[in-house]
Amino acid sequence: MNMMTKVESDKELAQSTRAKPRGLTRPAPVRKSPARYRLENLALQVLLIGGFLLLWEYASDRWVPKLMVSKPSEIGAMMQRWLMDGTYMTNLWVTIQATFFGFTFGAGAGMIVGFLTGSWRRLGDILQPIVTAFYTLPRLALAPLFLLWFGLGIEFRIVFAATIVFFLVYYNTYFGVREVSRELISAVRIMGASRLQVMTRVIIPSALVWVAAGLKISVPYALVGVVVAEMLASDQGMGFLLSRSASQFSASGSFAAIAGLLVVALIVDWIITKITDRALRWKTVAEQN
Amino acid sequence: MLLELRDIYFRYHGEAPILEGFDLEVQDGEFVALLGPSGCGKSTLLNLAAGLLDPLSGEVDFEGKELKGLNRNAGYMTQGDTLLPWMTVTNNIALPLELRNFPKAERQQKIERALRLVNLWDARDKFPSELSGGMKRRALLARSIIYDPPMLLMDEPFGALDAQMRETMHQELLDTVGRTGEGVLFVTHDIAESILLADRIIVLGGKPLKVMEEIHIKWGKDRDLDQIRKDPEYTALETRLRDLLRAAHS
Repeated sequence: MNMMTKVESDKELAQSTRAKPRGLTRPAPVRKSPARYRLENLALQVLLIGGFLLLWEYASDRWVPKLMVSKPSEIGAMMQRWLMDGTYMTNLWVTIQATFFGFTFGAGAGMIVGFLTGSWRRLGDILQPIVTAFYTLPRLALAPLFLLWFGLGIEFRIVFAATIVFFLVYYNTYFGVREVSRELISAVRIMGASRLQVMTRVIIPSALVWVAAGLKISVPYALVGVVVAEMLASDQGMGFLLSRSASQFSASGSFAAIAGLLVVALIVDWIITKITDRALRWKTVAEQN
Repeated sequence: MLLELRDIYFRYHGEAPILEGFDLEVQDGEFVALLGPSGCGKSTLLNLAAGLLDPLSGEVDFEGKELKGLNRNAGYMTQGDTLLPWMTVTNNIALPLELRNFPKAERQQKIERALRLVNLWDARDKFPSELSGGMKRRALLARSIIYDPPMLLMDEPFGALDAQMRETMHQELLDTVGRTGEGVLFVTHDIAESILLADRIIVLGGKPLKVMEEIHIKWGKDRDLDQIRKDPEYTALETRLRDLLRAAHS
């Protein structure tokens, strides 16, 4: 005999997924559709940026010396020229390559060490203070050493970016693993899971929320690392373009280089967000409920 | 004999003993409720039966063999929500089968049967965050029984539910174990719950924990919970158990 009828079950399912009932006395405010909300936000952003650019264009050479801030119209012209003569493509490609490898190596190492130290308590207790000591060290102080070891090539920029990314991903992974619910682990162990299965079925997916957050914040840091390294010692890349423009007192060139970096950062951030959202679909669903 | 705890001595580090010379038996297909005040050591007993804790002395036997390590032949359901939030209902329920390398065809058959048994077929592709409290409990129940373990260990599994949902789940549990024939060791501090569900109630109390009273329930497996509630014997049992629990507290 099964007391729970299908109708009851369906009702329960519907209740669990439906919005909460509205109050009796005061109607709930009418919510805008998500598409309209996004469109309005986009319009406001365009308005804000457009207004700022117009103000900048007007203020340059009137209130602020043009030598220092240039003009959006001149920056635009410079960007167009760099786009046409291949300056952007050549230098962006160099920067993107170094960022990609720096991010991959740094994040990969951060995840591996974070998982090991997080899941193996003894190792964590031994290594954690040492990692923290290195973390507090200003990365810029290591640049001369890296230059000595790796020379002026792409390796120097990759290693420099990787050392920045490593710590961000390491800490997120380490704490993510440590935060995994003991109750979940016990439940899966009693179901018959081996140590490896506990790792793959519980610890890794659970820590993934933290790891994803670490990855997301470390992408711009990887880019910053590469650009700084290129500014320090390089003859190519967006950092090089930026420092060369600055040394030639070309504010237009500096802003054009920054704008190029901005576009790259936005594209990379969008890609990472798409990947992590897909991997953490359950989290998005949970946040909506 | 399904489960036997013999002459168990157990204490947590630096604390007074919880169990000393403690014995407990559960027969095949028997539903035993452990009733006692909160914090008396009922969950410790369950964890010993699950192999999550080892007795400092004494022996835990499961299906005639001494239990070494985790008891992987018992389904374990706690009050907490131990559904994996990143898995759909189907994947959560299928997890024990996957971990035990059940053949794919058999797996599919068992998943469908379990989902239908607890009426979660329509919610099979949902994530746990999309389920109500009662649906989560049913998913946990399905996961505990899907690989047909001979025994279910349940630690206040419906404690977090409202009264109405608890009633539904009681009937659901009786129907399910009635069909599968599993033995159940059910920890609760709810008197009504123990009377409605169990074949035998063991009232626990004292420090170290001892059996204050053992009561056999006459209603049998195919019981009607609404009828039982109207039975004068139910009220008498409730009063008796309340007095016993009061004595266990003091």
